[in-house]
Amino acid sequence: MSRLHDMGGRFGDGLIPVPRDEKNEVTNFEPTFKHKWHSKAWAITLAAGALGEWNLDISRHYRECLPPKDYINFSYYEKWLAALTNLLIDKKLVSLDELKEYVFAAEKGTLRKFSDKDVKIDQRIWLAKDVQKTLGWGGPSIRDTNVNPVFNIGDKVITQNYNPNKDISGGHTRLPKYAMGRTGVIHSYNNNHVFPDKNAHGLGENPLPLYTVEFKSSELWGELAERQNDSVLLDLWEPYLKLFPN
Amino acid sequence: MSEKKNIIGDHHHPHDHAHSHLPSDPELRVKAVETLLLNKGLIDSKTLDELIDTYENRIGPKNGAKVVAKAWVDPEYKKRLLNDATSAIRELSYQGRQGENMVVVENTPETHNVIVCTLCSCYPWPVLGIPPTWYKSDEYRSRTVREPRKVLLEFGLSLDSKVQVKVWDSTAEIRYLVLPMRPKGTENMDERELAELVTRNSMIGTGLPKEIK
Repeated sequence: MSRLHDMGGRFGDGLIPVPRDEKNEVTNFEPTFKHKWHSKAWAITLAAGALGEWNLDISRHYRECLPPKDYINFSYYEKWLAALTNLLIDKKLVSLDELKEYVFAAEKGTLRKFSDKDVKIDQRIWLAKDVQKTLGWGGPSIRDTNVNPVFNIGDKVITQNYNPNKDISGGHTRLPKYAMGRTGVIHSYNNNHVFPDKNAHGLGENPLPLYTVEFKSSELWGELAERQNDSVLLDLWEPYLKLFPN
Repeated sequence: MSEKKNIIGDHHHPHDHAHSHLPSDPELRVKAVETLLLNKGLIDSKTLDELIDTYENRIGPKNGAKVVAKAWVDPEYKKRLLNDATSAIRELSYQGRQGENMVVVENTPETHNVIVCTLCSCYPWPVLGIPPTWYKSDEYRSRTVREPRKVLLEFGLSLDSKVQVKVWDSTAEIRYLVLPMRPKGTENMDERELAELVTRNSMIGTGLPKEIK
């Protein structure tokens, strides 16, 4: 059971949209943002996120919760904008009536930006002078806790099946469907990190051991594996794993 | 049970979604939300400009290229980079958002590493900037874990069947950077010249550094 965003391994997708130059050779060049509105959708999402009303896991979950037909039809930044809009309403930063008023004005061509003196600045606003400082600090997800890891490097583990999120049915999780119920080996332990399955639902950070787990291609894809000895490594929290029964 | 109240529920009812009220033209859609937030004093237009300028002009694959070139010429740095990438990358003043926990994986004659995020678009911003369109595409996200060799062929990269492919799916807050192999014939090049050879794709694993003609 999964959502559309969880697309690792699925069939049906065509060629990778690799950019090519005029000689039809693969090029590394691509503008950072293809359209002005892409950059705006991205920047207002970051700026609104800085108000502190939601965390990264919540915003990811909002994108995943877009109705399947929208998730499929929307381009990347349309998904961002739709999820942001839903967050703004749910977190009561904006009312639905206000949104409708601005949408109406945008469609009529009567959208008007207030002059600075008419804007009442919110206390939580992210100011331009703080941008570099905030970006430089980032949002570390490691937490100092006294939780000790249960597994050791080299342990054979099996991943949860069906519904990894034990609190919310259809809730946020970072265990992809293609790696559910599969056997892998602990490659490394990476300290304790905020647990998205809870944090995305406002249930607290619950930092837990995070491991990198290596799965053989043959274990994930069976006979379809391109080469048995290739592997896929995933970063997985302890509750996604149990020791492989000997 | 005050916590319960804060649970963000499962969105079962598409008609409840506020986003369905937005205009059909995405440009207008962004304009409407942006203007509303600006007029409510929730965002500052100078902040938006600063953010966009930062990632269009200051933070991008040139940063990662400097990390790679330094690792190629300085064995001690390479050791630090493979042992604790976050600290080693911070030595060059690259740090922060979407690069809080960096891991560098080394390509060798035996192993080729490729980075993907099947669940969204996780990417090491401080060293590579904002991900390219193909990295965020459904095609790359769905296929890379199942058939990495076919995917790499589409990038013009053909791997010997003896080489092991390791695909790193960024499912948590660890961000990966590939350390590609130094091209042959570059023994006399200095760090700055070497950095020019390091392409974005070579640091994701979908390409190799430029070769010396």
